Amino acid sequence: MTDKELNYQELGLKCGLEIHQQLETGKLFCRCPSVLRKDEPDFSVRRKLHAVAGESGEVDVAAAYQASLGKEFEYQGYNDVACLVDLDEEPPRELNRAALKIALQISILLNAKIVPLTQIMRKTVVDGSNTSGFQRTVLIARDGFIETSQGRIGIETVCLEEDSARIVSDGVFKLDRLGIPLVEIATKPEIKNPEQAKEVALHLGGILRSCNVRRGLGTIRQDVNLSVKNGKRIELKGFQDIRNVEVAIEKEVERQVGLVKNGESVSEVRKVLPNGKSEFLRPMPGAARMYPETDLLLLKISRDFINESKKTLPKLKSEADEEFEKEGLSQEMISLLLKQSKVEEFKELLGIVKNPALVAKVLLVFPKEIAKREKMPLNLVEEKLTKDVISNVLDNLKRKKISEGDVKNVLAKIVRGEDFVKAVKVRKAASMNDVEVKIMSFIKEKPGLSMNAYMGLVMKEFKGGVDGKIIMEIIKKYVG
Amino acid sequence: MEKTNAVPGDYVELSLVNRDYQGVFLESPENEKGIVLLKLDSGYNIGFVKKEVMEVKVLKKAEEKIEELEIKKNSEKPNVAMIITGGTIAARLNPSKGGVDWLDNPASLFKFYPEIFKLVNVSKVEVPFMKASEDMDFKDWQKIARVAVKLLNDTNVKGIIITHGTDFLHYTSAALSFFLKDLNKPVVLTYSQRSIDRASSDANLNLQCSALAAISDIAEVMLVGHASENDDFCFAMPGAKVRKLHTSRRDAFKVVNGKPFAKIFTDKVINVSEYNQRKKGKIKADTSFEEKVALVKIYPGQNPEILDYYLKKKYKGIVLEMSGLGHAPGKRARNSWISKLKEVQKRGLIVCATSQCINGRVDPLVYSNGRELLETGIIYLEDMLSETALVKLGWILGHKEWAKNRDAVKAKMLENIVGEISDRLEN
Repeated sequence: MTDKELNYQELGLKCGLEIHQQLETGKLFCRCPSVLRKDEPDFSVRRKLHAVAGESGEVDVAAAYQASLGKEFEYQGYNDVACLVDLDEEPPRELNRAALKIALQISILLNAKIVPLTQIMRKTVVDGSNTSGFQRTVLIARDGFIETSQGRIGIETVCLEEDSARIVSDGVFKLDRLGIPLVEIATKPEIKNPEQAKEVALHLGGILRSCNVRRGLGTIRQDVNLSVKNGKRIELKGFQDIRNVEVAIEKEVERQVGLVKNGESVSEVRKVLPNGKSEFLRPMPGAARMYPETDLLLLKISRDFINESKKTLPKLKSEADEEFEKEGLSQEMISLLLKQSKVEEFKELLGIVKNPALVAKVLLVFPKEIAKREKMPLNLVEEKLTKDVISNVLDNLKRKKISEGDVKNVLAKIVRGEDFVKAVKVRKAASMNDVEVKIMSFIKEKPGLSMNAYMGLVMKEFKGGVDGKIIMEIIKKYVG
Repeated sequence: MEKTNAVPGDYVELSLVNRDYQGVFLESPENEKGIVLLKLDSGYNIGFVKKEVMEVKVLKKAEEKIEELEIKKNSEKPNVAMIITGGTIAARLNPSKGGVDWLDNPASLFKFYPEIFKLVNVSKVEVPFMKASEDMDFKDWQKIARVAVKLLNDTNVKGIIITHGTDFLHYTSAALSFFLKDLNKPVVLTYSQRSIDRASSDANLNLQCSALAAISDIAEVMLVGHASENDDFCFAMPGAKVRKLHTSRRDAFKVVNGKPFAKIFTDKVINVSEYNQRKKGKIKADTSFEEKVALVKIYPGQNPEILDYYLKKKYKGIVLEMSGLGHAPGKRARNSWISKLKEVQKRGLIVCATSQCINGRVDPLVYSNGRELLETGIIYLEDMLSETALVKLGWILGHKEWAKNRDAVKAKMLENIVGEISDRLEN
């Protein structure tokens, strides 16, 4: 172990990570929803891009390289998730405030200093993945840090930017992903060895997942920047699996050491292969790639907005654990809430009914049970049980219109497509008064039965439409 | 911030109370004079409130870059001339300073539009003025026409390309249609909707197709621009029959009540409708113009007394952009226009009618409201675009021999002079 560390130190490894994470909001510069589609596109548009002179007057190396391919690009779009802004046919709309808020929260969690006055920039990209020929990006915060077991690693910048169009095949892109907000976190080149790189990647992933970010394949992407003594800077892209970070760095360092010996180290962008090796992707982009987005005003991030973002700052897992344990939640529930990113929802619903166990069940257990019972896919069930629906049901519980035991049934009815008012009203039909009268008459008619037998009779009478707990309590009043 | 000797482009160090920042000093945004912008080494621009900047230290002066680009001429390629008048197509961001510069140096065209030089020699570049098109008026149209005539009468020039802002481009194209009648060579107007600093700029295709149009045999004033959202071909559209119909799309201009002359790809011209052929000989500009003309849009409940204002201000003619087939509030309306229209025409105002439907022809005979309006003497301008009608009215009234006689004005307004009126409208 120590041998290896010494080794990297001697080799002069300079390594930093760049993480791109999609945010769970609509698009950044238009009002389209962020939805990826698999079905046939509604339209397609053909475009060409041209090399443009950068600010120094020189045509950018990477830009020139791409444009020299002289390609025509096809963009496929869906009417409901790609608008004229995505088609480069309308100027950008104002930056999405919800996305900015999440970017600020991430910046705060990374101990970074927020830039109060900042300009939205255009970063030249001519590989066809942006219809405009550039990616909009804005510096949100700088100079943060995270702690690792091997010491502090600086966070160079936190930027908010728009995602690119999704490549379908050579020269063909889908517009659904274009414009989805991304937070880009760049660490300082202070990572000492592959092991620490992996730790940093996991740590940053944990912070991001505690915030309102998108989940699933392709929603987070990691790049590694590295160089060794006397070598040129290399960018490694396209990690399918975070576990590959460690291996890929090891292999690239080995390769670089060999190249440096022969004086052959060249600055380039490389694509990581599943086996941890990498292949040439494109030359390193030049420096002259950024110029202002002239269609938008300067972005001013006010004190008030920063404070507002702080108020709803998500808890990191470790902090959340403590708080939820106090609420009496099991470790399993806590980690499920965190994993499924339902912490915010949980807290909000807890504001309606102060019953952590029930709220956790409503969010984590009931949907699965309902899905099983109704033979429906879980995502469809969760789609129907929006936060509004759940808060309405819990509100009815709070106002004693329904009882705790009814909650699951009401939710199931809503999933089945029953109208909300009706789903809740059924409870009202069997008023507790009626139930109590009925129980009394059963006991009078058939004296001497067990409590469970009376229970069975009552349940049969009300076809399961009444909370068993309450029935049992009433029965207990008269029997035993 | 005290006065500083730093100029945009200098590499500086800004001192604030708690830390210093290094980067390239940029021009303050137009609307944010209290802010200093700095380009960090990462390329990102950030801002500071001037008051909070304690000191600006210049670390390295900006290097004055003199661009020495030569226009390479190739005797085998045909010569075209360019007239640059401003607009997005001639504006470029200067990121080192953060501001916008006009692209008025002919050589800089090479840098930004290398593609058009593959097809033609740009042998002459004239810059009569640099303006956003919304700032132009008839005097600018006259200036362009005079420069154009000079170039069109140069036997070494095969055709001309005029680059222009988009907002009022269709007014200029209509005006040049009347000012430069009986053309000997193509006069091509073109534009861009996306700024030229971006790789996706529509200027590239528009200019390549304009170059082909300028050496074609279409001796007309035409507007050349994207036919669709695709970067594949442009339309060459008649100058008096074209209108901006979208605020931002690259195919913003459409032919209304007519057809394009041609479809133009980067390597070929496909003719679509009839046009005047290129011919030998010299031409003259006819740029007389009466400034006192106006375009007024009719809306529900509108009070006709607005016309008194135009008379008082000595207007000679007015185009009313009417509803539907050509209607304004009639006898049964709370504010009827009938008697006021009779009165102002009696007092000498020429009143013409077009439709705010944009597409289709006006026809006052279908409804009684229309017949009553027609009886007041207003001139119904068939399928003419309102913007073209305004320009034409100014041009007709600018000619004393016609302006003195009301009937002559009417006859001229209804005469199809440069294709502004279509006899038949196709589906």
